[in-house]
Amino acid sequence: MFSRATNEHIFAAATRIALFISVSILAFLLGAIILRGIQAISLDFLFTPSRSFGSSGGIAYQILGSLLIVLTAGIIAAPIALGASVYRSEYMKSQRARRVFDLMLYGLNGVPSIIFGLFGLILFVNIFGTGLSWFVGAIILATMMLPTATLATVNAMRGIDKSYRENAFALGLTREQTALRIIIPQSLHGLVTGVLIGLARAIGETAPIMFIATAFSGATVPASLHEPVATLPTHILALAQQAADPAALKNAWGASFTLIALVALFSLAAFFARARLTAYSRR
Amino acid sequence: MSLAAIDFTRVAAPKGRLMRGYFSASAFICASIVGLIILTLIGQTGPVLSGHFSSLWGTVWNPNTDQYGIIPMLYGSIIVMLVAMAIALPLGVLTAIYIAETRSAKMRGIMKSALEVLAGIPSIVYGLIGVAYISVWVAKGLDLQTGRLILTAGLILAVMILPTILTLTEDAISNVPEIYRENARALGLYRHEVIKDVVLPHAKRDILAAALLALGRALGETMAVMLVIGSLDRLPSPIFNLLSSGQTITSKLGREIGESAFGSAHFSALVLMGLILVLITLALTAAAQWLIHRAPREANHV
Repeated sequence: MFSRATNEHIFAAATRIALFISVSILAFLLGAIILRGIQAISLDFLFTPSRSFGSSGGIAYQILGSLLIVLTAGIIAAPIALGASVYRSEYMKSQRARRVFDLMLYGLNGVPSIIFGLFGLILFVNIFGTGLSWFVGAIILATMMLPTATLATVNAMRGIDKSYRENAFALGLTREQTALRIIIPQSLHGLVTGVLIGLARAIGETAPIMFIATAFSGATVPASLHEPVATLPTHILALAQQAADPAALKNAWGASFTLIALVALFSLAAFFARARLTAYSRR
Repeated sequence: MSLAAIDFTRVAAPKGRLMRGYFSASAFICASIVGLIILTLIGQTGPVLSGHFSSLWGTVWNPNTDQYGIIPMLYGSIIVMLVAMAIALPLGVLTAIYIAETRSAKMRGIMKSALEVLAGIPSIVYGLIGVAYISVWVAKGLDLQTGRLILTAGLILAVMILPTILTLTEDAISNVPEIYRENARALGLYRHEVIKDVVLPHAKRDILAAALLALGRALGETMAVMLVIGSLDRLPSPIFNLLSSGQTITSKLGREIGESAFGSAHFSALVLMGLILVLITLALTAAAQWLIHRAPREANHV
């Protein structure tokens, strides 16, 4: 319809326009979050409890609750991910079994977050009768972190040189001793990185925990495993639903900024853990 | 054949057997959670399947009159996903072409880190942006009473899946060997012809896998959609009216799970929708994995 040269120009223009739109979207998102967040945030905001359903006061207990849930989730997920990756890379013999195992993990990774909430609500809150409990929330977030943590560790184990295993077996070590002395120390950086990336994702999750682990207001430091806590994501949800109130909206931006700062903190930790620990395990 | 396939090792001591038990138990937990989730959901679908099966395929949702038509929610999920993909896929692929084909390492680096930051933004924050900006803009721009529409949900979802599509597509295009481009250019093809006739066909499979993963994310996204879609359990009229409020499976679950009694027909209808959602996303994941593993370039990937 057009000459080839004209088509070339149209195509070049189309890719430039697409780039411009994409970059504008990225810039707008980051700009809005940072500008609105910085206006709302202060030391006072971070360290005082919320009042009148969050529209005044700060987010101290929300930060505490979020950290409590995700760090507990990390502690639950890490040993399972480690054990599973050892089994996947040292015991599974057939390629087919490995493929099925990986597919199960990718499948778990693809399950929508709200389904984890529904699953936790049915199995723990109702069938096991735990009621609203932050610990159940931690278990559910731990299951969501498992694929990330396990796949990262498996990748690290895949990178271990074949001669390490050959030498260990030649020295008469059992498979378990090899795993304990060689494989796990050499792949620890994968586990740490994977768990930290998992934490960065888990702390932002709302849907899995909103029915099973959180209370929208009034929750403070839990005294037992059977109590709900307040968390940052569910707090933002509650505030976003009263967005007509400028004070609530302002606090929602402040809480969002804090949440993203925590995500960034875990991501940066993952980045440095990978750099430091990789160097360590190569020694 | 991997080394683990040949067993040189000695028989495990009792302590070793304990370790082996721990390894295999962990692996079992990892591999069985998906199944456990599906079984748990199936276990709760009884009340609605036995008592109200005929109303499921209707368009009326009204728990007070025992009508649980899931069609509006299924339709909502699909139409919102289509709107998001219609915006994000061309935008993402064209941007990825620009970044990959200009081959400026610096620009790639900046873009990749910006995308990683964006991928880390929690969905509830996208929801807040949708409530505070996008729905307001849509309402003002189109002069409507409310900005909480199917279109708004599609827009916010497009923004959310853009990083996924962009990163994966860019990887796919960058992975096409340079020699193909050189040969095509030597034959006198214009740049757009090289891309259209050589690069894209070569990267097709991986781009398709990226699109499937993005589809799965779009279908499963809850918080952002729930805040901006308006939560109306009816089919829009006329049927392709994007400027009507709607409801997706996820927004329905997010709004109503807390309000329905455990074990009631209402609850079990919600669980049934959740089950349908899981099965669709699992199928998409499996298809994407199959595409990636079938790609010849990935043949050395264990």
